[in-house]
Amino acid sequence: MSLSASSGGFGLSRTGRPPARPWVMRAMWCVLGLLALPGMAQEARVQPLPAPAVVRPQLAELGRHLFFETRLSGDGSRSCASCHAPAKGFADGQALSRGYNGTEHFRNAPGLLSVRLKDRLMWDGRHAGANLAGVVREMLTDGQFMNGETRIMEERIRQIPPLLALWRRAFGDASEPRSEQLFESIAEYLRSLDFPATLVDGALRGESAALPPAVQEGQRLFSGKAGCVACHHGPLLTDGKAHRLGVSEHPALQREPLRMVSLLRHHTEMGLPNAMAERGDVGVYAVSKNPSDRGRFVTPGLRGLAQTGPYMHNGRYDSLDQVVEFHDGGGGPGSELRPLNLSVHERQALVAFLRSLSAPLAAVTPPPAYDYGLIDGARR
Amino acid sequence: MKRLAMALLAAGVVFGAMLTLAKPHAPAAPLATLPAVAIPTHNPMSAQKLHLGRLLFFDARLSGDGSTSCASCHVAQMGWTHSDPLARGYPGHRLWRNNPTVLNAAHFTRLMWDGTLDSLEVQARSAMQAPVEGNGKASMVEMRLRLVPEYVALFREVFGTEWPQLDHAWQAIAAFERTLVSDPLQVPFDRYLAGDGSALTPAARRGMALFEGKAGCLQCHNGALASDQGFHALGVPRQPQFDSSALVQIAVRWQNRQRDVPSAVYRDIDEDLGRYYQTREPADIGKFRTPSLRELKYTAPYMHNGALATLRDVVDFFDRGGGEAVNKSPQLRPLGLTEEEKNDLVAFLEALSMDRPLIVATPELPPMLPLDKKGLP
Repeated sequence: MSLSASSGGFGLSRTGRPPARPWVMRAMWCVLGLLALPGMAQEARVQPLPAPAVVRPQLAELGRHLFFETRLSGDGSRSCASCHAPAKGFADGQALSRGYNGTEHFRNAPGLLSVRLKDRLMWDGRHAGANLAGVVREMLTDGQFMNGETRIMEERIRQIPPLLALWRRAFGDASEPRSEQLFESIAEYLRSLDFPATLVDGALRGESAALPPAVQEGQRLFSGKAGCVACHHGPLLTDGKAHRLGVSEHPALQREPLRMVSLLRHHTEMGLPNAMAERGDVGVYAVSKNPSDRGRFVTPGLRGLAQTGPYMHNGRYDSLDQVVEFHDGGGGPGSELRPLNLSVHERQALVAFLRSLSAPLAAVTPPPAYDYGLIDGARR
Repeated sequence: MKRLAMALLAAGVVFGAMLTLAKPHAPAAPLATLPAVAIPTHNPMSAQKLHLGRLLFFDARLSGDGSTSCASCHVAQMGWTHSDPLARGYPGHRLWRNNPTVLNAAHFTRLMWDGTLDSLEVQARSAMQAPVEGNGKASMVEMRLRLVPEYVALFREVFGTEWPQLDHAWQAIAAFERTLVSDPLQVPFDRYLAGDGSALTPAARRGMALFEGKAGCLQCHNGALASDQGFHALGVPRQPQFDSSALVQIAVRWQNRQRDVPSAVYRDIDEDLGRYYQTREPADIGKFRTPSLRELKYTAPYMHNGALATLRDVVDFFDRGGGEAVNKSPQLRPLGLTEEEKNDLVAFLEALSMDRPLIVATPELPPMLPLDKKGLP
């Protein structure tokens, strides 16, 4: 399986403009690609979750409230949690996510647990992992997601006394809501979210009893015959890189016009050449404009799969059995995968291992929905 | 308001505060029948364009969440405005001003209460894309239009483009709006001007004499629109929702920020400064564009903030000489009208409206359909 180190578009913001200096990006990626190769051999193993992030508690607490706050969205109806529901591993349980009212998205909503550990964000990797607050900005302001406007968000927070109090606890008594800090607060909350530790983590650290035999067998296959570990490694079981597996388009994309609206609009926003002619999700190509990136998507992590189906960038598979079968068959047209020739028993063992990477999630209680307050007009 | 004006003075934004007060007024143009609407050369009319514009005017897919069309706030049955004192705007909002009627907007050279826009094309775009009104992201809305085969065909026929382009949508809507004008044959006052002496009741004729004489309305409400398209501060009563509605308070602060009022000022602001936003002249604080008096029968409530519910309330307000304002127009003074005179004025004002409201049936909107695989709609 070749690594997509030539995916030169990563790092572009979603401006719809072509890269300002594409040769710089390409050169950078060539260098990064070369650097990555020697490290691969060492890192291509499953690793336990690292220690939790140290977050600024008042910022994270504000961010927690904002994460559930529908009034950050344009029409006051959608919060981050609308598509990233805590009980669903901070995903939405849909094959293709819904997005903002009046829209239908063309991709699957990813879960957000341990998002702080991701190298690239979004299925097409168009944001660096370090730019979590920037992704929050995109989600809150883009017409596909929450369609909010930053100054309206700020003024609405000013009009919600308990939120304003939380704001001032985080940023100082004289502070006023500012969108950049708002995005950072939500990002800080997200940094505080981690997958629960699993039996596998304990075993990897040598701290817990041996894993059940089927899981052990699955783990061996994962790192051996099935070769999963080549792309699914590290603490999140992802290489953070983009690959083409040939997953077929979700039929809803052709059937439901609003989803095609979202896809074609995405193409035009990204400045894709001949944007109106594409009828499928071109993946990283829309970001990099490099034709070899067509159909490439960033490797998802494999933790918490029990809560975050359906699977793949377009939710094409409802079950892990289907996902394993798809990989076993070498993927679809144009795939970088090769057939694995696994037995039924081996596939079952792999699924058992994948399942063992999930653990029950702690319940998350949403904060109360605060009413707007009035600001006394007596100052006139 | 005074405190605010002081703040602006202190902020150093001030130049020549008193200059405009002494500006001499040209003799008022007499009231007249509206001419045919001037059609801009860059947006000629055609039957198909009007058809398209009418569809788009009613199509909520032009808004961010598909909830709000032009017609949501400009309701034909409410005089092409809305009976709410303050415009409802996009869901989750309540705006800070009364939304102006579309009726006869085609005749204005300055649109909006503070005269910030100058063409229907720009206004349509501005309204459907403003976050508090249509909140439509251009790329999303444009793509929705492209998945409506009937729109693809209409845009191609009217504008000659392969795919619908949003700027053409605003042109089509503006063209449609140029048809939403008073029909002189249906307006008693216009029939009277045309020689039908019986078109105005005796009360309305007495009201007309007051309008042009004792009451002094003609000073500002003149010409065919019964508007000088100028800007005046009347001291209209404060809209109570500025103090009772959280959404309106949000809207007021947001609007002030959008107009680049200095942050030190906007945070404490709870006023609409009107024409000032455009000119940055403190002497323009609290001034609003003189509205047309045509079709008033159908466009209640009144004033830039919808604070006056009936025409009688409006007449009473002017009879008192207006309210309090820092830049209040010297043309306002107590009028000393009798009850009968007030009733006569109202009778005349109503005679500036058509006998029946202008209604356009809500069209059935063409559906969005899947594209075929070859990329042809």
